[in-house]
Amino acid sequence: MSLRDTQRGFSAGVLSDDVAAIRARIRPGRFGAERHLQIYRNNVYASLTDALAAIYPVVARLVGDDCFRGCGHQYVRQAPPTSGNLHDFGERFADFLASFEPVRTLAYLPDVANLEWQWHRAFHAADAPALALDILAKVAPEQYAALHFRLHPSAQLVASEFPLLRIWQANQPNADTDDVVDLSEGGVQLLIARRDIRVEIEALGGGEYALLRAFARGQSFADAVVAANAAQAQFDLTASLRQRVLDQTIVGFNSN
Amino acid sequence: MTEDTKGKRNTIPAAAGIGLRANHYREVLETRPPVAWWEVHSENYFGDGGAPHHYLERIRAHYPLSLHGVGLSLGSVDPLNRTHLEKLKRLIERYQPALVSDHLSWSSVDGRYLNDLLPLPYTEEALAHIARRIDEAQDFLGRQLLIENPSTYLEFVESAIPEVEFMCALIERSGCALLLDVNNVYVSATNHGFDARQYIQSVPASAVQEIHLAGHTVKQYDDGAILIDTHDSVVCDAVWQLYAQTIDHLGRRPTLIEWDAQLPPLSVLLGEARKADGLLEERRVAA
Repeated sequence: MSLRDTQRGFSAGVLSDDVAAIRARIRPGRFGAERHLQIYRNNVYASLTDALAAIYPVVARLVGDDCFRGCGHQYVRQAPPTSGNLHDFGERFADFLASFEPVRTLAYLPDVANLEWQWHRAFHAADAPALALDILAKVAPEQYAALHFRLHPSAQLVASEFPLLRIWQANQPNADTDDVVDLSEGGVQLLIARRDIRVEIEALGGGEYALLRAFARGQSFADAVVAANAAQAQFDLTASLRQRVLDQTIVGFNSN
Repeated sequence: MTEDTKGKRNTIPAAAGIGLRANHYREVLETRPPVAWWEVHSENYFGDGGAPHHYLERIRAHYPLSLHGVGLSLGSVDPLNRTHLEKLKRLIERYQPALVSDHLSWSSVDGRYLNDLLPLPYTEEALAHIARRIDEAQDFLGRQLLIENPSTYLEFVESAIPEVEFMCALIERSGCALLLDVNNVYVSATNHGFDARQYIQSVPASAVQEIHLAGHTVKQYDDGAILIDTHDSVVCDAVWQLYAQTIDHLGRRPTLIEWDAQLPPLSVLLGEARKADGLLEERRVAA
């Protein structure tokens, strides 16, 4: 048996319980071949489910440990990692939860998973120096319309029809367990961004969400302002811009 | 990091180091414990920024560092993962580690990664393959790699070469060094019924640049037991004994205390490191 066949057979035996190719290649040792292989299967599934649990602690708390292990196991079978960099693993977990029958009735669960994935991305995103307000002050007013503002690499914008921030807060390790979230409280538009090394989640008004989303999509300042004003009457553009430069959500701009 | 800092802190002494984990970052920075060096899992720093790099930069400024990989999948028949190698290379450039290591194992095939250190059949084919791969990785990184002997829970029918001979041949062919994990030798020797001491005695002393120590778990079945390399407890007495024999044979070497699951307070790890330092110190006096 070639090394390639051994590795393919081993992988099938671990990931898909298909031991046909590998069983006869394992030397009967202390135990039969299958139990030796089972040790690897346990290790692989446990380590990958642990990796998911580290990224998705709120989902795990919402569905309970046993159910989460079940979801994790099925996800590993369907979408095993595609690199040795575990930071990339779990990207499609929200989509998976949306279609996984045992949790399909929890309509808010994929949105919670998406929020946690964006949190994970923000945690590991690149650092960026702050933009000094006086640099912005030097731009001639007639050039504002054409500016393209750049968000911090960690900044993510997430919208949900569920009270996502309340769900997230009520399921933090130190949260009050009596806190009940009413799912009909209404939706939210959130900014997830790292302030120094801490990831923070903040609920935004409609105007600011539209403004930052337009920046994130590379739209010009003029187009972003149109979007923000359309989303929210009496949107305070000056205050918003100033705050987002100061808190380093906005870290730069290009004038082309 | 200044050139000066790099210069002073880029060699690792023959003393105990500890695996650095996120839960201990702040305590390490605030208390600066008397640990000779730290080792991190390279892949934990494959992100672009944020807290992991914030802390590692600051800790690196005060201590020598070793980068220990778990995801290079050196034994795989897939092509070497260039993205992974490039990330590792950037990490090496940024942190100037004294040692860079990975494992005698594979973790991926056909692009699917199992995130585990999987066993290789010890055959001529596998030897030629992994020697080439280590060579390729060393060329790309522009430095020598240390390769760690694995804990294994099964053996392949086609394995024709004892693991320690396989390791020796690998060192000779690829010019890599050995990261001798004494706990892994003990675990595999117990699981497969070979003589751990003889394994250690067969290791060429000049090739060993680092030693690992960790705790394992005895998994009990109705009809017997098997040892699992869980890194979730103190080093057991039998492994300390084997470690003492190891440094009698090899001489003193940088020795890492590894602990990954159910991480205890830093003080427990410092206690384990002191124990290793005590044994190393006895050999200094004797020598």
